[in-house]
Amino acid sequence: MNWDWDKLQKQQQGRPGGKPPSFDDFQEQFDKLKRFKLPGWKLVLPILVLLWIASGFYIVEPDEVGVVKQFGKFNRVTTAGPNYHIPYPVESVLTPKVTQIRRVEFGFRSVGRPLTQSFQQGVSREVKEESLMLTGDENIVSVQFIVQYLIKDAEHYLFNVNDPEQTLAHAGEAAMREVIGNGKIDDALTTGKQEIQVQTRELMQRILDNYQTGLSVVAVQMQNVHPPDEVIEAFKDVASAREDKSRFINEAEAYQRDILPKARGEASRIVNAGLAYKEAKVRRSEGDAARFLAVLTEYNKAKDITRERLYLETMEALLSNPDTEKLVMSDDALKQSVPYLPLDKQPRRVAPKEAQ
Amino acid sequence: MKKTTIIFAAAIIIGAFVLTSAAFTVDQTQQAIVIQLGRPIGDKALGPGLHFKLPVVQTVVFFDARILDFDAKPEEITTTDKKYMNVDSYTKWKIIDPLTFYTKVRTIQGARARLDDIVRSQLRVALGRYTLIEVVSHKRQEIMDMVTERSKELLMPYGIEVLDVRIKRTDLPAENARSIYGRMKAERERQAKQYRSEGQEASAKIKANADKERAIILADAGKQAEIIRGEGDAQATKVYADALGQSPDFYEFTRSLEAYRQGFDKNTRFILTPKSPFLKHLQ
Repeated sequence: MNWDWDKLQKQQQGRPGGKPPSFDDFQEQFDKLKRFKLPGWKLVLPILVLLWIASGFYIVEPDEVGVVKQFGKFNRVTTAGPNYHIPYPVESVLTPKVTQIRRVEFGFRSVGRPLTQSFQQGVSREVKEESLMLTGDENIVSVQFIVQYLIKDAEHYLFNVNDPEQTLAHAGEAAMREVIGNGKIDDALTTGKQEIQVQTRELMQRILDNYQTGLSVVAVQMQNVHPPDEVIEAFKDVASAREDKSRFINEAEAYQRDILPKARGEASRIVNAGLAYKEAKVRRSEGDAARFLAVLTEYNKAKDITRERLYLETMEALLSNPDTEKLVMSDDALKQSVPYLPLDKQPRRVAPKEAQ
Repeated sequence: MKKTTIIFAAAIIIGAFVLTSAAFTVDQTQQAIVIQLGRPIGDKALGPGLHFKLPVVQTVVFFDARILDFDAKPEEITTTDKKYMNVDSYTKWKIIDPLTFYTKVRTIQGARARLDDIVRSQLRVALGRYTLIEVVSHKRQEIMDMVTERSKELLMPYGIEVLDVRIKRTDLPAENARSIYGRMKAERERQAKQYRSEGQEASAKIKANADKERAIILADAGKQAEIIRGEGDAQATKVYADALGQSPDFYEFTRSLEAYRQGFDKNTRFILTPKSPFLKHLQ
């Protein structure tokens, strides 16, 4: 066994610190440590202090402001650029982004799009419990809108209200419902949108200022405003009825524009026919008169012979017609004959000329 | 040298300990009260900044100094015209007297319970005095002001200040909404009918007016044409009379001859006697 023990002792002596250290050793080590560490401290301490001092530098980005608190109490606001605050634990700094315009959606949620992007009429999902509102004439309308806002007062924003965004969301809903509740459904659906947006923005701003949230409402924009799904068909039918109305009127005006010019044309034709008749009649009479007067002049020069000539010419013309039946009877024979008119035997071939 | 170093180090360690347990900061968003063995000290809450207390015997309780939100659950309320509506409201409130707050309600949870009791009953009372439509539209602000005012009074003793009670949503229960939809539909149908019949009315008026104008235009033209014809006839008559009046005898003679030509041109049977002047040379 002894040999074993010796061997073990030898082995243990070979290992560092294997032997329980004596007090002298400890003292020696401690002195060594003191001697070794002191120049180190002299170097490290100033570095630590410098680092501590340097930790007070901070940079405020152009879209931010720095809000410095001293022992938790608001102390000052710093603007963009490099700044300095007394390091922890005396002062601390918060840098809210004040120029960034944020947006909240009411009545719908955009799908698959970051919230910061501006609105595009695209994929969105209606949130009915937010969008359906009662109007002042006791109707229900679905209003989807967004509110754009920014931080106008960083101190108020950070310290006055425990959740400014939630407060803004509440105020937005309350304000829009109040404005919609004061108006009629047709205002919201048609021409009143601009007015509603302005009123809602003002009311929201009043509410937010009242709480001193430090938020500024940049714009309230109504997006999709429509009647509830249950009645949308009836509303669409009203729109098409309005179209029908103007269609009917247009058709009637087309009819009017078709027939009146035609009637004026016809009237002109009638009047001109009258004028034609008049002119023809007058000219005819003038011609006849001239002819008569011309003949009369010659007749006055040789009355008897002209009279005789005219008579004979007429008789000749009458009697020269081969269709004319001629019968010469003496007066006596005429007196003895029985007048007999065979009306049925001689159908008239020609319509009788109008008697003068 | 060695002794002073040790004393110095000890002083620093003890000092740091005392300082960390005695000093405390209150954030800008907070207010605090100091409690000594369960009893609040002082009569004013501590604002933001660095404060000191006695270590061990005194403790600090922090309260929120900001405006807090209490969003009540929607509640069905009956209006004076016996209609039901779901009213969803929120309350903005603030701990203004932390000492009272601590002794009376102690926590935010406790405050919420009080707010719920008081605001709810105030809303119920106020809304019960108005009709549904008044609540929805023009009396809304008045109601909210009234509820805010009363709640403020009632919650003041708890160290709570109510800043605003605001009606967020006023919705109708499903069955009432259905009847409103029915009415809206009927109204729109009525309006659609009205538009269409107004269109037909206007259309008929325009067409009838056009027809009337056409008739008048044509009648006017007819009248004018007859007047012109009459003028023509009159002028012609005058021309004839002027010319023929110069020798009525001759006109009578020539016109008679003309009439004979026209009258006896065909299928005529002439019975002439020898006495006829035409046959005087035949004898």
